[in-house]
Amino acid sequence: MSQDFLNLLIALAAVGLVLGWAYVTKRMQKDFSSTMTWVLIPVAIAINISIGQLVLVLKLPVYLDSIGTVLVGVLCGPWAGALTGALSNFVAGIIFDPGWWPWIPVAATIGLTAGLCANAGFFKTWWKVVVTGFLIAIAATIVGSPIAVLLGGISASGSSIITAFLLQTGKGILESVLTTNFLVEPIDKISTSLLAFAILDGLSARYLARFPRGENAQLDQQRRTSELVIALVTVVILVIVTIVFVVPLTNN
Amino acid sequence: MPDRLSFYLKKNSIIHALNPFTKLTLVFAIVTYGLIGAGFWTATILVCLALLPLAFTARLLKEYLGVAVKLILPTAGFMFVMQSIFIPGGTTEIFRLGSISIELETVQRSYLIASRIFLFISAFALLLLTTHPSELMTNLTQRGLPPQFAYVIISTLQIIPQMQAKSLTIIAAQRSRGLDTESSFIKRIGLLVPLVGPLVFGSLVEVEERAIAIEARGFTSTHKKTYLHEVPDTNLDRAIRTILIALIIVAVVWRVWPS
Repeated sequence: MSQDFLNLLIALAAVGLVLGWAYVTKRMQKDFSSTMTWVLIPVAIAINISIGQLVLVLKLPVYLDSIGTVLVGVLCGPWAGALTGALSNFVAGIIFDPGWWPWIPVAATIGLTAGLCANAGFFKTWWKVVVTGFLIAIAATIVGSPIAVLLGGISASGSSIITAFLLQTGKGILESVLTTNFLVEPIDKISTSLLAFAILDGLSARYLARFPRGENAQLDQQRRTSELVIALVTVVILVIVTIVFVVPLTNN
Repeated sequence: MPDRLSFYLKKNSIIHALNPFTKLTLVFAIVTYGLIGAGFWTATILVCLALLPLAFTARLLKEYLGVAVKLILPTAGFMFVMQSIFIPGGTTEIFRLGSISIELETVQRSYLIASRIFLFISAFALLLLTTHPSELMTNLTQRGLPPQFAYVIISTLQIIPQMQAKSLTIIAAQRSRGLDTESSFIKRIGLLVPLVGPLVFGSLVEVEERAIAIEARGFTSTHKKTYLHEVPDTNLDRAIRTILIALIIVAVVWRVWPS
């Protein structure tokens, strides 16, 4: 227990250090320099929650509950994205049940990673967006797995059945949780990023330019339509792959 | 999605009249005791001896139990059962079910985790049942939280019902032009585009207007702001907070001291 506590302290210190660095070097302030950021965040949270609920009702095998977070991360910067993710889970905790609150760090990581990738120019063409989605999935897994282990490894979500299955085959808790997340997260996060990309593609350049980091979303102009089609086809393929491979796995 | 957009239920009780910050400190104290309490039954005892009397005092015992049974118990119960069955590692076997053996140590560990989660979630649920979100945010702003945070939380709670109303309009509009919303699985995936598209783009376009509107009302002003509604903070509140903070410090020191 004391070792866990020490690790928690180290993690908190690292987060504090990064936040302090971003504040001192004025990187954080740039994200929040425009009122547009503060107005976009509530809308993004509402998009997260509405689409997340809709997907839940349609019983699709993904969550898609962080499209708004990725949007803010790209348009306003990593720190605004992290804040959106955190507040999104906070508000979901107020509306649905406070069981959302342990996952605040994961949601914040998703927004942060999306913002960092977009700053590096990785939100301009569809294949770069796929890479971004994959990176987001890895970051979310790294942050989420310790929390899942802390909560005992098995939560009420559907993918826990995979974890339970792996545990029975004799793997450790951390290993099982990591494997489960590596199976589920990339499909979800790549679809999320591609949908966010499709939304950005539909918005006008004049509108995007009003955000602090609107230039991140200025897509490469060549073959825009064909790339959008490819992106949508990829989402459909990913959804079908999930239905074909993951759903039978959970049924066993 | 529930009918009302927060747990809050207006009642006339001492708990409701307390300052939101006092209630937040109380929840923090309960969470601290639940986390560092060494005993196996700590979380259970805290639920019975702290949360239930508090809910009773707030005249919300029925609603609190409703939330606990409907929302929290399924989550915690499912976790308890699944973890008891599937996480290996115990030595004392209670009984076998085919190839799956259930060990005493695993069941105890699962119970500890599940009861703690039940305690934490229901403590916060009690806070949300007795405190209006905007009152909580106003109070935190008065205590130094940047006002932008309060704006984000409160306006999100207002935007979500608006978006729900808008999505109903969109569904009705798309049906009126012949969209089939009750068909097979693959077709329902295809439906997402004409339903979600207008909703998302419509909301995003409104962002610009709203930004101009709140900028015109001094959102970015750095002057000290005044409040239309003051949240009362009585001597009783301060006394309770002092006692609670002292209790937290005592518990932490007592737990850390021997090691």
